[in-house]
Amino acid sequence: MTRRRQALTAWLFLTPAVLFFALLFFLPIGNQLLTGLYDSDGVSFVGLGNFSRAFGDPEVLHSFLITLAYAAGTLVVGTAVGLGLAVILNQALPGRTLFRSVLLIPYLTSVSIVGLLWRNILDPQVGILNRLLEAIGLPGQTWLSTHPLATIVGITVWSGAGYTMVLFLAGLQGIPSLYYEAARIDGAGPWRRFFAITIPLLAPTTLFVSIIGLISTLQQFALPYIVTGGGPGNATSLYAHRLFIVAFNDNDFGYASALSVLLLLVVLVLSLAQLRIGDRANA
Amino acid sequence: MPSFNRRSFLQLGLGATVLGAVGTACSPATPAAKKQDARTFTIYWNAGHGYQAYKEVIDQFGKDHDLQMNWQKFQWPDLTTKLTADFRSGNVPDLVEEVSAGTGTQYGLAGNVLALDDFAAGDKEFGFPGDYLDQAVVARQYEGKTYSIPLHLTANGLLFYNKGMLSAAGFDKPPTNWEEFLEIAKATTKDKVSGCALNSDPSYAAPYYNQQSVDFSNAGAKQFMMPADGALKALQWMQDLIFTHKVSPAPVATTDYSGPQKLFSAKRAAMFVSGPWDIGPIRQGSPDIDLGVAVPLTGAVQSAAMAGSGLMIPAKAKDPKLSWELITKLAAVKVELAATKEAGMSMPRKSWAADPAVAADPSLATIAKSLAVVAKQDIALSASGKAAQINELWKKAYQQMIIQHAPVEQTLADFRKQAGAAL
Repeated sequence: MTRRRQALTAWLFLTPAVLFFALLFFLPIGNQLLTGLYDSDGVSFVGLGNFSRAFGDPEVLHSFLITLAYAAGTLVVGTAVGLGLAVILNQALPGRTLFRSVLLIPYLTSVSIVGLLWRNILDPQVGILNRLLEAIGLPGQTWLSTHPLATIVGITVWSGAGYTMVLFLAGLQGIPSLYYEAARIDGAGPWRRFFAITIPLLAPTTLFVSIIGLISTLQQFALPYIVTGGGPGNATSLYAHRLFIVAFNDNDFGYASALSVLLLLVVLVLSLAQLRIGDRANA
Repeated sequence: MPSFNRRSFLQLGLGATVLGAVGTACSPATPAAKKQDARTFTIYWNAGHGYQAYKEVIDQFGKDHDLQMNWQKFQWPDLTTKLTADFRSGNVPDLVEEVSAGTGTQYGLAGNVLALDDFAAGDKEFGFPGDYLDQAVVARQYEGKTYSIPLHLTANGLLFYNKGMLSAAGFDKPPTNWEEFLEIAKATTKDKVSGCALNSDPSYAAPYYNQQSVDFSNAGAKQFMMPADGALKALQWMQDLIFTHKVSPAPVATTDYSGPQKLFSAKRAAMFVSGPWDIGPIRQGSPDIDLGVAVPLTGAVQSAAMAGSGLMIPAKAKDPKLSWELITKLAAVKVELAATKEAGMSMPRKSWAADPAVAADPSLATIAKSLAVVAKQDIALSASGKAAQINELWKKAYQQMIIQHAPVEQTLADFRKQAGAAL
């Protein structure tokens, strides 16, 4: 077979995937970029005006900062919880398969249901949590009013802990038991083994978890929309929620498109930075 | 003659599949699909207004015209989002329930919904605008054009109270002014019961500031929440109900505006301020509550906020005449009366108000009295196209004051500044 025929065959097999990505990903992204160069009327060309406007918009800056705080909180707590659960359920405990399955249920549940569930649980007046707290003599909570962002972080961690646990479990099971046995013979205790063997050898998994987590948290929209509507005030109006308000409430699709392109750039930069840091650590 | 082996057939097959898939995706709709689409009549409706009375009309309309009726119901924010996306794409429904007076004007001035005056003028039997209460009509008009037909007309500002709780606290009548309201709220607050319950939805603040003669906006003068001293008094009083007098729980920020009604239905609040849409859920959900509905309170003046949805026809609707015909059927007085009987909803027609069944109903009589004191709306704000943006700013300010205990005077000043800039 000639090289030309080989290339043709390869292109034929690649064409569906190329078309799929071109039509459903790159074309909309290009369209988004183009829309971002126009005013809210969709006719007046404003160049990079919408992009520069974002840097002076206090609402956008606020939403960006709280999104970073939300992402950091979710990544740190979520990774710690997922890793902790994985380490526990990697032991030969009775019923561990059942626990693993149960812990994965929140991740498999629709975000709408998770949001509505927690909104009802946390409602200070009619929610079940305060009924339980009252029943055991503790004061009721008003977290959705007093600590709304931390509450959203908590719900996200609860929802995603099972998935993180599964990833870490896979990583843990890839670590040869030989290392632990050798360390035990050398007199290393459980903490020493955890920090000297488990954590370093889980670095690729941790990197994957943090990149996936970062991308999903920076794009988070549904939970604050359902649980708090972005409130109280704008305390949980994350970047994607702000973008939604600009598009569908303010009807300014040009500016919203520019904001979404900026988000894409931020996600790209942070993900690449994480990859480089991970590569250096692994090297 | 070319030779065909198994690999060649595979390549050809794959190529044909790809070309077929792309061709299908890029081709225009088939005539059969277009025909099917033409026979489907799509309506966007509020989820809380899916009354049987309307369902019967819509079903019959479908049968009469051999149409597949696609009656889609949404919460208001979701309806607004979907409609905005539809207007952008050009793929619009045939009839839409309008969230509130003025929304249609905003869409109409942007060319997204039709002015309905010509339809109404050609349909004298329908009785628009002659048979409609003025305030419902005027709020939907701009520069001589009417962009929606009123469907419901209600007042936000009715006082809901639990007669049993008030009686147990020694009150045999509901409060009529702010001083009495506070006195009764204090007297009925005990254990797990709050004297009253405020709403996290900012539109529920309107009766309070209207009762201090405050206008939300004067778009022409780029002014908001003026006069300032009245606005300060109203919002400070609301904040004090929660944080100083502790007669109301701080509401929770959600997209759900039924929090106070749920508290009231659970017998955890003795009073709240709302509109007729909460009568049905309370009567159905808690029939053991002896529900009282009273006219709006008097602050500096007695006042309520106008509420109530309308009907509008998207400019790109397939057959606007057909859409208009359905409007005339849905807004007919006999359908209005049926919806009132079913859900207690109040309506905008004069002939509805004059009906003996309406006149004899004490709750509806209260609503009618409340409609007489509704505050005027700023039509210019809707016409500016910035109403939704400014309402979002107000939502932020209101929740900061009522939920997060932000200083009222400073928050109001910030809101005025931001709203003025947005306009």
